[in-house]
Amino acid sequence: MSRARLSTGNLPTVVRVVLVVLGLGVLLAVPDLARVTPLSFATIHKGLLFGLAAVGLNLLLRHTELVSFGHVAFFGTGAYGAAVLATYYEVSSGLVLLAGAVLAATAVALVVGYLVAGHLDIYFALLTLAFNQVLFAFVVQSSFFNSTDGLSVRAGGVDRPSLLGLDQLLVSAGLDPVQAYNYVLYYLTVAILVVMVLVTWKLVNSPFGRALDAIGQDRTRARFIGIPVERYVWIAFTISGIYGGIAGGLFALLQLHVRPEPVLFAFVSGEILFMAILGGVGTLVGPVVGGVILVYLLDLARFYVTYYHALTGIVLLAVVYFLPEGVLGSLPALGAAIDRRRRDPGLVRNDVEAVVSSVRRGVHRAVTTVRILVFGVN
Amino acid sequence: MTERTPSSSNDTGGIDRRDALKLVGGSTLAVALAGCTALIGDESDDSTEDADVPDEPIEAGLQTFTEGAPAVLGLQAQYGAETAVRRINDDGGVAGREIDLDVVNEGDEHIQNYRRFVDEGKDVTFGPISSGGHEAMVPEIEDRGVVNVATDGTVTTLYEESFPDATYSFRFQNHDVMEALAAVNQAVEVLGADSIDTYAGINPNYAFGQDEMALFSSGIEKLTGAEEVYSGFPELGADDMSAHVTEVNGTEPDVVFSSCWGGDATLLLEQAHANGMFDSTDLLVGPVLYGSANDLSADLVDGPIYSGSRNFYWDEPGTDRWTPAADLVSEVQSEYDVVPTAHFMSGYGAVTAWATAAEKAVDILGRWPEQDEIAAILEGHGFFTPAGYHTIGADHQGYSNAHFGELGWSDEYDAAILENVNVFAPEDVSPPPGTVSGDWIDTW
Repeated sequence: MSRARLSTGNLPTVVRVVLVVLGLGVLLAVPDLARVTPLSFATIHKGLLFGLAAVGLNLLLRHTELVSFGHVAFFGTGAYGAAVLATYYEVSSGLVLLAGAVLAATAVALVVGYLVAGHLDIYFALLTLAFNQVLFAFVVQSSFFNSTDGLSVRAGGVDRPSLLGLDQLLVSAGLDPVQAYNYVLYYLTVAILVVMVLVTWKLVNSPFGRALDAIGQDRTRARFIGIPVERYVWIAFTISGIYGGIAGGLFALLQLHVRPEPVLFAFVSGEILFMAILGGVGTLVGPVVGGVILVYLLDLARFYVTYYHALTGIVLLAVVYFLPEGVLGSLPALGAAIDRRRRDPGLVRNDVEAVVSSVRRGVHRAVTTVRILVFGVN
Repeated sequence: MTERTPSSSNDTGGIDRRDALKLVGGSTLAVALAGCTALIGDESDDSTEDADVPDEPIEAGLQTFTEGAPAVLGLQAQYGAETAVRRINDDGGVAGREIDLDVVNEGDEHIQNYRRFVDEGKDVTFGPISSGGHEAMVPEIEDRGVVNVATDGTVTTLYEESFPDATYSFRFQNHDVMEALAAVNQAVEVLGADSIDTYAGINPNYAFGQDEMALFSSGIEKLTGAEEVYSGFPELGADDMSAHVTEVNGTEPDVVFSSCWGGDATLLLEQAHANGMFDSTDLLVGPVLYGSANDLSADLVDGPIYSGSRNFYWDEPGTDRWTPAADLVSEVQSEYDVVPTAHFMSGYGAVTAWATAAEKAVDILGRWPEQDEIAAILEGHGFFTPAGYHTIGADHQGYSNAHFGELGWSDEYDAAILENVNVFAPEDVSPPPGTVSGDWIDTW
């Protein structure tokens, strides 16, 4: 397995640095961009959080080659960890709520990871799904978690958590309290996201990361060369869950109310998996891009399109058929193709001819089918 | 003693602008939805014509269930809101401003929907249907400061205990205590207090169902001394309720109370009939069974089944002398091919409450009002719809008559109807202002 790529493949270091700086610049400018464009700041923020969870999931998916269908369990545990502290203990410090989220998710990931680490393939996937659903059913049935109505993340049900007093600082500088809170939380999210991506980069390029790659390629061989496979998978699973916990805790701080369906239901696990695939499983920050795109589609398409569920399916089909490496993972291939065509414009004519002949073939088949249906013969 | 002289236009000698608005808003100025130019006072009053009002349409957002099982209620709310908007616009708008209404599926995204509406610059938002969603939204509404008039989300504790000091969040539909106590009164009227010794409940397992059952229990125990013999809480959207029906059959209660709605109501009636529940109990009272009027069949409504219809039943009050009411059913049938239910009125009334308050504010202020000014007017605001007269209390809760009747079938409408409808005045089924419902029932 090659070194984990921060974004795309064999790009010169200078180009990579420029891309990273550009990416960071865009991230930092999102609140301003949203002010001057129709982009939704809140939706991008939420997309980054799910993207962070998808980065964690990708640790398992890309390196140990294990598909978890229940990863939202840790996202939800993190969100509920924060909500329980705020609702029942009236904790108002955002950082303490976040710490609670991480602790809760870590504990659950440790337990679930221990129980699933020895399993492979479909059994691993189904076990993670099962634990996810057990957790979901438990929360839905539990009056402590207020069943499907969920819990507030506001101490006393009214006050937003405090964010190190920075939000108050902005308020005293004349900013609207809601805006101040959202800005501080957003930049806190960006800071955590950057740190977590760097941690992932260090992790997957460490001996531990190499061992995970070995486990992903062949467990038996990995065991033969002395890698404690189950223990390493357990650790990787737990670390992966922690990403979900942090993302869930931040989500709780953003939403300020946590309900089981959006943060614990198995479908959301599928969405996190899709985010990783959509952005590019082979890249480090692809899942973040996938998170933003999918959340944007899921949240905003329904304001504009009646059959928005179909839209998500169409995007999934498009990715599988046309961008199998994901949006970010396909950029090198797309870049190379464009580069080739710039050097040899004749290729564009070939492309057009290929598309035209494909359409012509399709129409011909359709006409033939209709003729057979109508006249009984070709 | 010195005489105080108002020093500015905002100083009205001890009563600030907000108080002044409340006083005016608190008067029971009767306004009727026949289009907003005729809402306030007599039709010759053209005070809003000279007002400083922008030309742009009013941007409004409604979140309701537009898909899935809850759409049985949600689409009715959408039809109601659209009908009110259509009527207002046809009659010249609110102080000359037409309303543009965007509708979005509420799903589980209540807070995001509200935020999105606010980010889009909506002047007002309506909805949701969900109780839990409404509860989650209130602090966000208070933070953002754009008035929301909830169509439903009727948990009683919301404005009584959880958010007693709300500013921008309102609810049009009657809250749970009103329909739970209407059900108690209906049961007592049908069977007689002395004949009710036991009762049971089958209610959806979330805030609304738990709230309704708790209030019904308190009420019926106080009025009749009855004892609860079974209380089951199937999940919302359950695919089987037979275990609960079997439990009821085993305990043979005099009265069964169920706040199941939408697909749950249909399923309960199907399984109750299939398992002979109506041989084991004298009466089923359900405050929102009639919400599924267009989905029920003649055989399902057969039996001692009484349903509430919240603050609206289309045949009450008599509608022959007021065109907006007289035309309503035929208009709704031709436009949407359904019989309007109480959730239709949830949408219609929420829009009407806000539109009439906004028109009243323009009339008073001579300009388009700010959000806090509309909010102040809404407190104590009174207005008419085809359901009768409504008020929004100082607690931000809507108060209207509550309806309850026997489920029957109409071949003419090809839908369920209510017969022998009882109308309960708000003061008979809800506590006096400032009193918590539970405490009030305890004093019975």
